[in-house]
Amino acid sequence: MTIVAAFLVPGSPLPRLKPDNIPWGRIAAGCQRAGRALAAARPDVILMYSSQWFAVLDELWQTRPRLAGVHVDENWYEYGDLPYDIKVDTELAHACVAATRRIGVASRGVNYDGFPLDSGSIVASHFLNPEGALPLVMAANNLYHSAETTERLGRMAAEVAHEQGRRVAIVGVGGLSGSIFREEIDIRSDRIASHEDDRWNRRILDLVERADVAALRTELPQFAKEARADMGFKHFYWILGALQGKFYGARTHAYGPVYGSGAAVVEFTI
Amino acid sequence: MAQGRILAGFLAPHPPHLVYGENPPQNEARSEGGWEPLRWAYERARKSLDELKPDVLLVHSPHWITQLGHHFLGVRTLRGKSVDPIFPNLFRYNFELSVDVELAEACCAEAREAGLVTRMMRNPNFRVDYGTIVTLHMIRPQWDIPIVGISANNTPYYLNTKEGLHEMDVLGKATRRAIERTGRRAVLLASNTLSHWHFHEEPAVPEDMSKEHPQNYEGYKWDMRMIELMRRGQTREVFRLLPQFIDEAFAEVKSGAFTWMFSAMGYPEIPGELHGYGTVIGTGNAVMEWNLVKAGLAEAEQVLGAAALSQSAFPAPSRG
Ligand SMILES: [Fe+2]
Repeated sequence: MTIVAAFLVPGSPLPRLKPDNIPWGRIAAGCQRAGRALAAARPDVILMYSSQWFAVLDELWQTRPRLAGVHVDENWYEYGDLPYDIKVDTELAHACVAATRRIGVASRGVNYDGFPLDSGSIVASHFLNPEGALPLVMAANNLYHSAETTERLGRMAAEVAHEQGRRVAIVGVGGLSGSIFREEIDIRSDRIASHEDDRWNRRILDLVERADVAALRTELPQFAKEARADMGFKHFYWILGALQGKFYGARTHAYGPVYGSGAAVVEFTI
Repeated sequence: MAQGRILAGFLAPHPPHLVYGENPPQNEARSEGGWEPLRWAYERARKSLDELKPDVLLVHSPHWITQLGHHFLGVRTLRGKSVDPIFPNLFRYNFELSVDVELAEACCAEAREAGLVTRMMRNPNFRVDYGTIVTLHMIRPQWDIPIVGISANNTPYYLNTKEGLHEMDVLGKATRRAIERTGRRAVLLASNTLSHWHFHEEPAVPEDMSKEHPQNYEGYKWDMRMIELMRRGQTREVFRLLPQFIDEAFAEVKSGAFTWMFSAMGYPEIPGELHGYGTVIGTGNAVMEWNLVKAGLAEAEQVLGAAALSQSAFPAPSRG
């Protein structure tokens, strides 16, 4: 097994932009703990899938060697900018583009100056790869892909990395329950939008910690629907696919609200 | 200060392919052409806009999606390179635009007064969405008229079409009041495609027009039905059918721009002028104009104002 670490982290920029707000600061601290755990596992590359990077035609993969710039979130611009400087493992990314044909998915690489990176990819790479030392392979969320297709993509990406002899950290970027507050709130007392959402999030995190994949497979579709899980929780299926449907437990480094939606930082035991 | 007025509204869709096909200097990608009938439609719309000599262009774009309320660009000058995340091969456009911040603030305040959650976007590094930029380039490539950029709050998707479009109706009325109050001569741009079923693969040569046609016959028939009603000025019928059109043709008007624009204009029962229709990667796009000056409605502001503002295609939903 060449996968040395796996993480689920939230894509909301709020913990990154405003960690001095205590509820968001807790999530930021959890992300930093996950970053230290990732570094300790000494991967060669991070395979990252972000729920916020949308594709609608082919599956997209970053193939530009270096992505650097300043991004401003389209919702949370008032809290500041998101500078980024990311290296891409282009060899592995190109290999992933070529290999998706194996699973019947059309892919293409994107290599354009000024390509709009999503907040989730930027925030996750900031927390998990703070020095920018590790190269990334970044995959988009094709809105037409099912959870099953996403699982197959994750599995394929891990296999290609294995063929290339890489030590890999798998990262799924996205949230849990997806309801955000529709009106201004006092951010200091941010909370999960509803009791039902909170219960759902805790139930899913409990199943993940117990590595009960069978129960997760049964319950996730209902979670996705009833708790409006971020993008059908496909970021979890990416991780599940890469881990070939098997892990031994998980540690939740943080769980809490980001403007009402659910965010968790989870480290998988593999 | 004279009372402001809305001179016209345009249905002005934003497929980046149209900019790509035109090969303006601002766009890095180069084409052999393509989508000519739609680009010629925009040529006619440009001419008409030119004659209107507006002070400001207001654009509502579905590709600035906001969750917490309705947002307005609030920085005087915004510049940068806009790369389309879906079609980066076609659209990498260097833009610089100036914002009518005073009017944007007035729209924001009026909408807040009317009960909506609103925000001013003040971050100078903000990247303006490609929908706004494509629509503005296609209607006014000179970039010499200040603009107001309005986000698409995701209520129609998050709650449901009718409640979402009710908010857009409120936003439209607020926009009209702000225009009147600030004395602007304004043109409204609804940056929306009609039927939105699209192909999932791009031809090897994107501008190979032998591959371009409606993706879905039902979508095409819906477009023709709606355009015909618009051409006849049967606005009430258009809005009666709008939710069904949205469901059955996956129409992008769900995002609210079209409703915002018509609400601001007071849902005039005047014939829309079709400048042209065409498909882009299978989706249906019409460039249309409702010229309130020609219809004699822009001058009748004082009389029409109150009546127009009392109309609503999507009344407030009653809550249990
Ligand atoms: Fe669009």
